[in-house]
Amino acid sequence: MLLNRDDWYETSRDLDWTFSYVDPNEVFPASWSGAGDVPADAWQDWEEPFRVSYRDYVRIQREKEGGVKAVGNALSRAGVFEKLDPAHLASAHLHLGGTCMVEQMAITMQSRFCRFAPTPKWRNLGVFGMLDETRHAQLDLRFAHELLKVDPRFDWTLKAFHTNEWGIRAVKAFFDDIMLNADCVEAALAVSLTVEHGFTNMQFVALAADAMAAGDINWSNLLSSIQTDEARHAQQGFPTLAVLMEHDPERAQQAIDVAFWRSTRLFQTLTGPAMDYYTPLEQRKMSFKEFMLEWIVNHHERILEDYGLKKPWYWDDFLRSLETAHHSMHLGMWWYRPTLFFKPNAGVSPAEREWLREKYPTWERDFGYIWDQIIANVQAGDVPATLPETLPVLCNVTHLPIGGACAPHELAEHKSEYKGKVYRFDSHISKWCFDVDPERYADHPTVVDRFLAGDIQPMDLPGALAWMGITPDVMGDDVYDYAWAREYVNA
Amino acid sequence: MALFPVTGRYIGDHIPHLVAADTDDTMDELAAMVARHSVGKKVPVPPGGPVYDVYIGGRRIDPGVTLGALGLSPMAWVDVVPRGAEAP
Ligand SMILES: [Fe+2]
Ligand SMILES: [Fe+2]
Repeated sequence: MLLNRDDWYETSRDLDWTFSYVDPNEVFPASWSGAGDVPADAWQDWEEPFRVSYRDYVRIQREKEGGVKAVGNALSRAGVFEKLDPAHLASAHLHLGGTCMVEQMAITMQSRFCRFAPTPKWRNLGVFGMLDETRHAQLDLRFAHELLKVDPRFDWTLKAFHTNEWGIRAVKAFFDDIMLNADCVEAALAVSLTVEHGFTNMQFVALAADAMAAGDINWSNLLSSIQTDEARHAQQGFPTLAVLMEHDPERAQQAIDVAFWRSTRLFQTLTGPAMDYYTPLEQRKMSFKEFMLEWIVNHHERILEDYGLKKPWYWDDFLRSLETAHHSMHLGMWWYRPTLFFKPNAGVSPAEREWLREKYPTWERDFGYIWDQIIANVQAGDVPATLPETLPVLCNVTHLPIGGACAPHELAEHKSEYKGKVYRFDSHISKWCFDVDPERYADHPTVVDRFLAGDIQPMDLPGALAWMGITPDVMGDDVYDYAWAREYVNA
Repeated sequence: MALFPVTGRYIGDHIPHLVAADTDDTMDELAAMVARHSVGKKVPVPPGGPVYDVYIGGRRIDPGVTLGALGLSPMAWVDVVPRGAEAP
């Protein structure tokens, strides 16, 4: 007689044994499990709602893969890619270059859950997470590989993380830390709960909607397919948080507050410009701020409340940054376009600017005059005056430009001294992240630190571009060749 | 003389820049180096022309003082405003 799944599931999933020949602490060292002061039997309360069996998993994933492949085949025959808006393409380049290798790193993180998580239930779920992330990295690579023949920038899907491009280094700094170096408990709080359950909704659902509207059905479909996996394996965060709230709530609060701010800064860099500037105006569904408020803010507030955590102490400043930070990041990225591996859209034509003013009441006051000066220089035929001649200064926590977290009139110096060295930050929140755990950040030099140490030669912008791996075939430039600025002539 | 990098912020620009100054640079020379990355590029040329004041730690520094005389650490934060404008 064949047993039903419910008859055998727990016996299979919860299989564990008591070590007698070796010390359990050697099998599950706290440095990897992250169990810390949580008593061993507390993990018996760790519960996940998915109850996946390997047989079910394979069947469902096989169907998903079939769907993605069928859509991809149909579309490549129809030549859809060649008709896409070039501004939208920047979103795809940025997403693939910025996240494909994060999927790859996530395989290692999930493998750590498989091996070192403090309960067999979690180790079991980690197996599926590991297979999910393998699928995501491979899907991105396959998608990008097909497009290499029409666009060399898709090479950066694989290449980006093997370069020193500054934005990629910022992404890598965060995920090296919370995926590759974190113990299971911290990774579950920072990645599963904060990044995957909170923010990837944003990256994948919102970008999938914008991609669909832009006619990029293949990519939209791929993003949605990945998101179905994320929604499942992100669940590893909640039971971990529940156990921590019983035994070490302060650790949970700090880990989540740090991860939430660092995630915010990265999404202000990757998703903010993509949603509010690269997506063609008529295809935008929601502004970045609207999406953040609906999907991230409400959602995070609810989780905090449900589990008995406090709102991060910086909550009001975080909300204020939703009006400004991604606009500042976008302006900086466009200005430093030769340092990018894709072509950004300035996104401030008269019509787009009207949209920005409507969505962001302080946009004109905060950033309008800077764009006006840029427009005047373009109109005067002085494009060189719209290009950088030196580096910005980078934050020692986020590795993003100082000034990229606020409006110009809010820009102020934030620094800390640690072991005789001065560290600089993009905000008082990033400074706090450093101050509560300086060892984590102190030995990770920014591009500017490297430059000043003489690692980048010759010590000028071309030297820095070469060091970052930027080659002429991918180097960024204004995607519409400044047509948007000329629209102001008769305005 | 020695190379002395500073974090140069021209008031109104949205980011400060890495400015490769020299210990022998006067405040007037330093101000011009900082302003070069912003004025006429990201902020308008000030009505009084390209003459500036340097503020460090909220204090206006005399235009003739050299950078090396100030005892700063490398990458110190330097604010530059149009001459006579209010303190940042
Ligand atoms: Fe993934
Ligand atoms: Fe994931």
